[in-house]
Order: sequence, then C-alpha cells, then structure tokens
Amino acid sequence: MIRLSGVQLTLDSLAGPVHILRGIDLDVADGETVAVVGPSGSGKSTMMMVIAGLERPSAGKVEVAGADLGALDEDGLALFRRDRVGIVFQNFHLVPTMTALENVAIPLEFAGRADAFAAAKKGLEAVGLGHRLDHYPAQLSGGEQQRVALARATAAAPRLILADEPTGNLDGDTGAQVMDLLFQLREKLGTTLILITHDRNLAGRCGRIVRLADGHIVGDERAAGAANILAAAAQ
Amino acid sequence: MKALALAFTLARRELRGGIKGFRIVLACLALGVAAIAGIGSLSRAIEDGLARDARKLLGGDVAFALVHRPASAAELAWLAERGTVSTVADLRAMAYVDGNGAAPAEPGKDRLLVEMKGVDARYPLFGEVEAEGKVFDARALADALAAQGGKFGAFVDPLLLTRFGVKRGALLKIGSIQIEIRGTLEREPDRATRLFTLGPRVLVSEQALAATGLVQPGSLIYYQHRLRTAAAISPAAAIAAAKTAFPAAGWRIRGTAEAAPGLETFLTRLTLYLTLVGLTALLVGGLGIASGVKAWLDGRTGTIATLKCLGAPAALIFRVYLIEVLVLAGIAIVVGLAAGTGLPLLLAGPLEALLPVKLEISVYPLPLLLAAGFGLLTVLAFSLWALGAAREVPPALLFRSTVAPVEARPRRYYLVATVLSATALAALAILTATDRFMAGLFVAAVIGTFALFQGGAAVITRLAKAASKSGTRRAILRFALANLHRPGSPVARIVLALGLGATVLVTIALLEGNLDRQLREQLPERAPSFFFIDILPNQVAAFDAAVKAVPGAAGLERTPMLRGRIARINGVPVGRAAVAENVRWALDNERGLTFAATPPSGSEVVAGQWWPADYSGPPLISFDANLAEGMGLKVGDTLTFNILGREVTATIANLRKIHWRSLGINFTVIFAPGALEGAPHSHIAAVHVPPRAETALLTAVTDKLPNVSAIRVRDALDQAAGVFEQVGFAVRATAMVTLAAGLLVLAGAVAAGHRRRVYDAVVFKVLGATRRRVMGAFLIEYGLIGLATAIFAAILGAILAWAIVTQVMNAPFALLPQTAAGTALIAAAIALAFGFFGIWRAMGQKAAPLLRNE
Repeated sequence: MIRLSGVQLTLDSLAGPVHILRGIDLDVADGETVAVVGPSGSGKSTMMMVIAGLERPSAGKVEVAGADLGALDEDGLALFRRDRVGIVFQNFHLVPTMTALENVAIPLEFAGRADAFAAAKKGLEAVGLGHRLDHYPAQLSGGEQQRVALARATAAAPRLILADEPTGNLDGDTGAQVMDLLFQLREKLGTTLILITHDRNLAGRCGRIVRLADGHIVGDERAAGAANILAAAAQ
Repeated sequence: MKALALAFTLARRELRGGIKGFRIVLACLALGVAAIAGIGSLSRAIEDGLARDARKLLGGDVAFALVHRPASAAELAWLAERGTVSTVADLRAMAYVDGNGAAPAEPGKDRLLVEMKGVDARYPLFGEVEAEGKVFDARALADALAAQGGKFGAFVDPLLLTRFGVKRGALLKIGSIQIEIRGTLEREPDRATRLFTLGPRVLVSEQALAATGLVQPGSLIYYQHRLRTAAAISPAAAIAAAKTAFPAAGWRIRGTAEAAPGLETFLTRLTLYLTLVGLTALLVGGLGIASGVKAWLDGRTGTIATLKCLGAPAALIFRVYLIEVLVLAGIAIVVGLAAGTGLPLLLAGPLEALLPVKLEISVYPLPLLLAAGFGLLTVLAFSLWALGAAREVPPALLFRSTVAPVEARPRRYYLVATVLSATALAALAILTATDRFMAGLFVAAVIGTFALFQGGAAVITRLAKAASKSGTRRAILRFALANLHRPGSPVARIVLALGLGATVLVTIALLEGNLDRQLREQLPERAPSFFFIDILPNQVAAFDAAVKAVPGAAGLERTPMLRGRIARINGVPVGRAAVAENVRWALDNERGLTFAATPPSGSEVVAGQWWPADYSGPPLISFDANLAEGMGLKVGDTLTFNILGREVTATIANLRKIHWRSLGINFTVIFAPGALEGAPHSHIAAVHVPPRAETALLTAVTDKLPNVSAIRVRDALDQAAGVFEQVGFAVRATAMVTLAAGLLVLAGAVAAGHRRRVYDAVVFKVLGATRRRVMGAFLIEYGLIGLATAIFAAILGAILAWAIVTQVMNAPFALLPQTAAGTALIAAAIALAFGFFGIWRAMGQKAAPLLRNE
C-alpha cells in the first residue's frame, strides 16, 4: 500500500538547511494499522504529508496505493487524495460556511458523484450525527466536529486514512469515543490507517508502531513488540 | 460545465460567511463607480435637456447669424418663403437711469453697460418668455413691450433694478430714447447660458431698438434670423438650399444639432475632466480592492487548504474565489450605479439655476454601462494577483498548529491576466474619452504616479530600516521605525492610496490658485481699466479728447474694428479645408478685423515683412502665427473673408506671434491700408486709468458719446473668476471623492493591521509600557507615513500643475508653496487621525483574554 524508499526532506531556512527527514524507508501493507510516535519535531507530520502528497521529498521515492507520487503534478496529487486518501486533522479543519452534510459531501462532489449527498448522509448517520446534518461547524461540539471530519475522511471509502493526532484537541472521554468510531469505520472499510499520536493506549490499538526521532525511523514493531516500543518512547 | 457548476455551488456556500472583511472593497468600488456613473448620467441629463429644448435654445428650426448687418431684403424674402421668420438683434449699450427714477447716490452709478436685445413681433418662435412671474408668448410679449404713451417698454434683468436702485415703472435712457421698465425678466427661452455676461439683459422691441439710434453702420450688432420651417420643408433641406441660394451671404447657419455649441463644448470638456478625476477615485479604490481581497482570501487560507486536501484542483479554487469576488463586486457596482443614477436628481435644483435648460432626468444605460465596465476591470486588475496567489496555498499548512496566511507567488499566467485587465482599463478610458490625447496623458500620469509612489514607499521603508540600524536608544522611535519596515508593513499601500488622493488635491489647489492669481492679481495690473466699443468714425476725435481730458488717463489704444468670417483658405471653402482641431474655432465664428499702417504692440512679426506705412496695393494681411500653423498657411498664401456679405481675398504678408495675455487690443487678422477703410466700421479703444479715476473716465466719455459702450475690465474679470469658482467647485467635489477613496483604503489598512496592533499593545502593556508610550510609538509611525506622503504629494502635485499650467494653458506657473504644503499636510493630518483611531481601539483591549488564547 505504502512504500517509502530513502525519503529525505530538507528545507532551506535563513539559518541554513534544515534536515527534517533523513532517509526514511517504510513499507506498509494493505489493511495495516500503523501508529507513528515520536517526540515533537521528529518528522511525524512531515512524513504523513509526504505520504499524502502534500509535501514533495527532496530525495527518495514515494508510492502510495499503486501511485508513484513523484510522477504526479499538483492537480494529479489533488485527484489522488480525492480518490484514495482520507485525512483527519487534530484541528478538524471543517469549512465553517458549510453544514455538516455539505462538509462530508465535498470530496464526493469533487469526484462528481451524483449521490454525494445521500452518501454523505449515510456517513454522518454512521458516526451518529444523522440528526445534525444541517448544523454548521460553529454549532457543533469539538467531538461532533471531529466525527464530521471522520465521516468526511471515510465518505469516499478511501484505501488509506491518515490521522494526525485526531484526539489532540478533545477531552479524554470524547477522544476515546471518536477513536472507537475511527477504528470501527476502518474495520468496516478494510482501509489502511496511519495514525500519529502521543497517546500510548491509542498507539497500542494499532497493529504496528513506527517510532521516529530526528528524521529517522528508530523503531518499527508489529503487534507483539508494540508494547516495548511504547515503553521505550515513554522513557 | 460541471466543474463550473461545482465552483458556483462552493462559492454560494462560502458566501454564507457574509461580507465581513469585504466591506472596504465594496465601499471603494461603489464609491468609484458611483462617481463615474453620476458624472456620466449628469452629463447625459444635461445633453438630453439641451437636445429636448434645442429648438427653443436656437430660437427656431434653423438660425442664420450675421454681424453688423441684418439679412438683405432678398435673403429675408427667400427665408419667408420657407416658413416663419423671426429676427433678433443683440448689442451692448449703455443704459442710464432717467426721468422719475431715483437720482444716483454716487457719480457714475447712473449708467451701466447692458446686453440689449431687440425682438420682432414673432419672437419667440418656440417656447415662452417668463417675466414678472408670468408667461409671454410672441403676441403677449409684443403687447407688453409696445409703445405706450410715447414710451417703449422693456423687460430687464432684476440685477439692473438692484444696481440702479429703481423699481418697475422707472425710465431708462438708452441711445436717444427713454424706455420704461415694464417688469423683470426671469427666463428667455433662447438664452444659452447665464454663466458669463458683461451686463444685465434689457429686452425691447425691434421698433424700440431702431428708435435708440444705436443701429449705425459699423456698430457691433449681432443679428439672428430664426426660421420655423413650413411643414413641407425639412430644416436640413432649408440649410442646404440657403447655402446654394446665397453662397456669399457670410451668415453662420445652425440647425438644432448646434443649438448651444459653446455650452456643449464646455460640458463635454468638463465631463471628460470629471470622469478622469472619478476614474482616479476608482483607481485609488483599486488599491483598497487589492488589499481587501488579499486580506479576505488570507482569512480563508484554512478553507482553501482543506479543500485542496480533500482533492480540489487548484483551478477549482481559483474559480470559486473569482466567482465570489465577482458576485460581491457586482453588488457593489449595482449600488454604485444606483447612487450615480440618483446624482442628476440631487443636483437638478442648483444646476437648473445656472443652465438654460431643465435636466432630462432619466436612467441612461450608456454611462452606467461604462461605469460598470470601469468597475469590473478595476476589480479584475486589482484582484487577479491575490486570486492567483490563493490557488497556490499549500494544503500542507493544515498540519501546522496555526494556519497563517502564506505569501505564495502566483503563476505567470495571473501576472499576464492582471496586466491585460489593467491595459483594458486604460484602453476603455482612452477609447471612450471625447479627447483621447488628454485621456492618454491621464493614463500616463497615473502609471507614472503609481510608479513614483511605489518608489517613494520603498524609500521610506529603506530609510526606516537604516534609521533603525543606526541604533536609536529611544524605544518608542525604534518601535515606530521597525513598524515601517517590518515584512507586510502597510506603508506602500497607505502611501500610494493617500498619496494619489493628496496629489490630485494639491494639483487642483495649485491650478485654482494659479488661475485665481492670474484673474485677480496679475491680469488687473496690466489690463486696461476700460474697453470702449462702438465709437463711430466721426466720433473718434471727440472720444480721444474726452479721454485725454480725464486726469490720470494714460495708454489710450484705439483701433478701427469690423467683423468678418473666414470663407476660404487658399481658395478652398472652409467647410472642405483640412485644419487642425484646435484652430477650428477660428472658422466657426466671425473674427474681429482691423487695418493698420504700422505693427501693433503686444505682438511680434515672426515670418514675412510688415508692409510700408504708405502701402497701397492689392489686399495684404498680417495673420496669427498659431492659427496659420493649424491651418497649414504660410506667407504668400491667401485667405478670403466675407465682410458684410462681400468677399475680400487677401495675401498673407506676415505672421505674428500674439501675446494675448497682455490684454491689450489684439487682432488675429490685420489688413494693410486700403482694403477696409471704405467698409462701415467702428472703433474700439482700451484705456488705462488709476482706479480712483475710473468713474471720471466713464462719465466723461459716455456723457459726451451716449452711444459708446464701456466695458469695465475689472467687472469682466470678476465674472470670469466667478465662473471658474463654480467650475472649480465641481472639480473639487469630484476630487474629494478621490480623497474619500484614499481614506477608505487607509481605513482598510488600519483594520487589517488591527490584530497585530492589539497583540503589540497587549504585550507592551504586560511588559509595563504606559499607554502614553505605546500611543507615542504608533503616532510617530503614522506621523512619519503621513509626512512622507505629504512631501511626495506636494512635489508630484506641483509637477502636474506646472505641466498643465505651462503646457496646456500656456501661462506662467507660480508654485504657491503655502497652498501645496497646506493641502498636502491636511492629507497627512488625516492619516494621523485615522491611525490614531485604530490605535485607540487597540489600546482599549484587555490583556487577559488575548493572553489566555495565545
């Protein structure tokens, strides 16, 4: 599903070049759930942006869901995301002038689907917001907003879900509910999930944990070894 | 198509967010469009009013104008065969209070130059005369003015009663008869303008005029024969037939299309200037549009990044926001057009008091379309860049903790589109202008001004940076300077917007100041005190003696004069001759002609030779060098004049450069001795006397020669100054719109910087700075911007005014530093006041809530 080969990302700054990713090699299989952990500034979000085609690496190759991202132009990447990737952000990033239903329908509308609104309605019902279809983001609680975002990310049945600290702006209980929903939806769709989190319990729910530090992958363990990586991260 | 529908859907949803942040853009646009639409509509309302009343203004379907002589019996008979003819004669005369009127309080106050009009019993052919609150048709008017008890009657301008301190029923002495004032004249249907007159109107019958004895061979009398064509004859056919029947009549024939040509030319010019000033307002507003659209799009960075993350192609983003901008701009344009349409309604009252017609209030699609076109192109020219940048917003922004606006560089395509829109705007301004050269100059001046102020802003920023680095120890000053050169500083925007408005104001103030100086200070110094007209050849000796007898009278300049039209240029009839547009006026009307043995003062021969004093031979003339250039004439070419119905062909012996501003007696055409002495003519004279002797001179001449009319130059100049004042008011009012647009842009810049100011103010407060200290820093910042803008505006305004005065008006330029500096400093003070208002709001913010959110 995902293959990163020797991915590097270096940005220029006034103080000189900043090396954010320093040679990442990562293979993620179809349907796998991967937690990405690591300290702030370790390159987690940047790696996710590279996988989403939002950032181009300075070196290396990125293949996602059968697409070589290096070969796609800006609009090609937009279409790639539209058709194959769902993204959930820490800050929800709903469009404030659109209702919950419209927010969920956007990617389907972009794809030109005639049933965009019917599918969006189903998606919202699936996250328990069937009664909030016409509410604007400002009229929803944080948890509800993130559930709308989940519905939006999964509405087009993407092959890959990228979630960047989706519970970071939510209280514990609400966060847990949202994550339950995320895993349920993923299960249902059989989608690959990449989840950035600082929450050890949450990471533990994934089948694989990848640890980043200073732009390198410093740990990569599957289900059984996941606990050890978390213990190391805690230290 | 589907993509466009989706763009519309998304735009509609986005617009639910309201127009917050877009208000300044809408206001800038609406203001500029309203100014242009208003000026255009007003101009059309006047033009249509003129067209509607064209027959009244012309006095007939066709008017035949002659000077010195009325139409011959044959000509009149020919006209009478084609319809109803009415004859009107206009002349200037001296009126004296006489009979039972009150005695004058001061010597010389018992006489006044009047504009006299003698009308026949068929006047007016169209419309009515309004006098004494009543309406008079031709028959009623003839009755009202007819002789009663041996005295003819007159309707007079109310001003005459005020000047003489008399009432209705008083007697006037004009020429050799007494005329009874039968009432005050309120409106003549055929009076083209009341802006400029040398004296109050006195309306009498043609019998009364004949009885005055003022109609003498050579007297300066303008005759108009108006024809109301019979049903079977079209005015155009009558005009064509008249030209064929009397090719040498020397009359000027006008149809209704030229009912008030002078007024129409004046209005066309004024409309052009006001439209250009209105366009300046729109362009200044364009800066507000540019920054407003950018700020508005900056506020949507998160949404744009989200849409892109969800798979929106960049082109879709551009389309969505272009649609939104165009929809909002459309609303602003409609508001502007509505306001512009209302302008004629608002100004109808004051304008109708000045103009001869009632405005034709209506909705005029063409000026509205033009204003909308200007508005739309301005929006495109000033927003495409920001829209192009918006499509480049990187979606990766969403992974950062705060979504801040980014400075994305639009693709080349958007730069090209911006340049194309600006070019289309310039092209529209030039192609729709009545004077394309002038509009072209305007466009060049705008480009130059934009470039200069942009450069000026860069200089300010650099100086501030250098001053900061020099290490001032005063924290307030350091902070103020830092604000001027920090990234994203509004200096450029404010300097440009405020600078353009201030430049227009400085230019206009200097133009007005220079004109005023010319009219009130310089001209009167050199100008003669009086012009005397209609001195008959047999009165010349008596006139000279009368003048010389007045103590202090000096510089008597007297010359014969008669009027004639140029009929042919090198044998080619003027209608077919190719001449430059700027000299066409000289062919449209009669020219004053004179004859002299020696060269006059106030001009110099620049080509050819002056003739010997005792010349006698074929007709020779000395001609104005400027006109000769425009008509493509040189020494040795010929001009044919129609003088009193006779054609005289003369060879150009020399060309003169004439110094018109000397206000002496100057003629474009001077004949060599021998050709004109036999023709009926009168003399015109200019006399200089000290102000205290003016009355003595007036009474000395007119007591002795009552038929001679005296024009007091000071009164004429005051009249001209009054006209300029009224025109100046229109120009100033439009210029104020430019300044208002500048202030809107400034308000936008202040509003855009508000968040940062609040943050700065809070941090300063937390760190222990007093309010005074923080205010001081902000005031220095805006004070410096204002001062620098004022300096640039004063310099640029002075350059523009200099160019117009010396190059267009051919007059000497005076800098008037107080006017320039004062106007520019007012603009600076306004900047300071606005900045202060913004800071005052920022200072009112409590620190705690903001710090909790950070």
